[in-house]
Amino acid sequence: MEPLIAIGASIAVATGIGAGIGIGIATGHTAEAIARQPEQAAKIQTVFFLGIALAEATAIYGLVISILLFLKL
Amino acid sequence: MSTASTVHQTADLGERLMEAMRFRTVFVIKAAGHQFPITETVIVCWAVMAVLIIGSFLLTRKLKDVPEGPQVLLESFVGFINSFSKEHFGHRWARYAPYLGTLFLFLIVSNLIPVLSPMGAFGVEPAFTIKPPMRDINVTAALAVTSIGIVLVSGLRARGIAGWLKHLAHPIPFMIPFNLMEFVVRPLSLCLRLFGNILGSFIIMRLIEGVAPIGIPPLLSLYFDILDGLIQALVFTFLTTLFIAEAIE
Repeated sequence: MEPLIAIGASIAVATGIGAGIGIGIATGHTAEAIARQPEQAAKIQTVFFLGIALAEATAIYGLVISILLFLKL
Repeated sequence: MSTASTVHQTADLGERLMEAMRFRTVFVIKAAGHQFPITETVIVCWAVMAVLIIGSFLLTRKLKDVPEGPQVLLESFVGFINSFSKEHFGHRWARYAPYLGTLFLFLIVSNLIPVLSPMGAFGVEPAFTIKPPMRDINVTAALAVTSIGIVLVSGLRARGIAGWLKHLAHPIPFMIPFNLMEFVVRPLSLCLRLFGNILGSFIIMRLIEGVAPIGIPPLLSLYFDILDGLIQALVFTFLTTLFIAEAIE
């Protein structure tokens, strides 16, 4: 049973892939948007922070599940 | 020989991981037939509160018309919070600015206070270590529940009970269950985000210290301890602001 739990914990951490891609896309487009309209930087950053916080949540849920599984080992 | 040492090392890493997630009980308060265990998280939170209360008392004691010294710093921070609040809440900024400022200061100080933790060297263990209080899910859950409570109360105050109930069915009545679910999902994600980030970076730093104790940890600590703590403090305050602004608009 123990190897299965360890494999499950590592699969749970793989949710980080999605968060990484999502934050990368969001950061790239934010940089583009600020380069195009520097006077709107404050508003763009507002949306950016909200977006990365939501995108990051999936990775954090994966981490929490993985820690819960690790505690069962 | 090499397998034995590898096995020993992994066991050591696992032990470090478990140690990072353990909360030591410092002492127990016995009152009214109940026992209240005081963990190190509570002690660190008390220390943060003491720093903030004594600091704000000392800094606001002799205020002058023309600021000088620490008063400049104080005024720029209060001015920053006030303008941030005005930007999001419009004319109702004065009601919410104090909560946002307190939340932001508490998060910043409690995420940065582990930097002051003494380190062991040459086989000597320090008498105490300061671990980030936000790695305890109870602290982040309490903060998230406080924030969502303020969102709920400010929404009720701004719209009245009838208006608040009407807003639950905002675009179409079909959305009622989803709008209600937000009151569970939002604090849950606020709480887990802060907890996961701080615990994750704490564990990573413990593992790095175990593998390479010299040279590398201070460099990575800049990112994992300082930058990550500041970003998470900002994100928590920011999301609370957005939720309140949405509730009272």
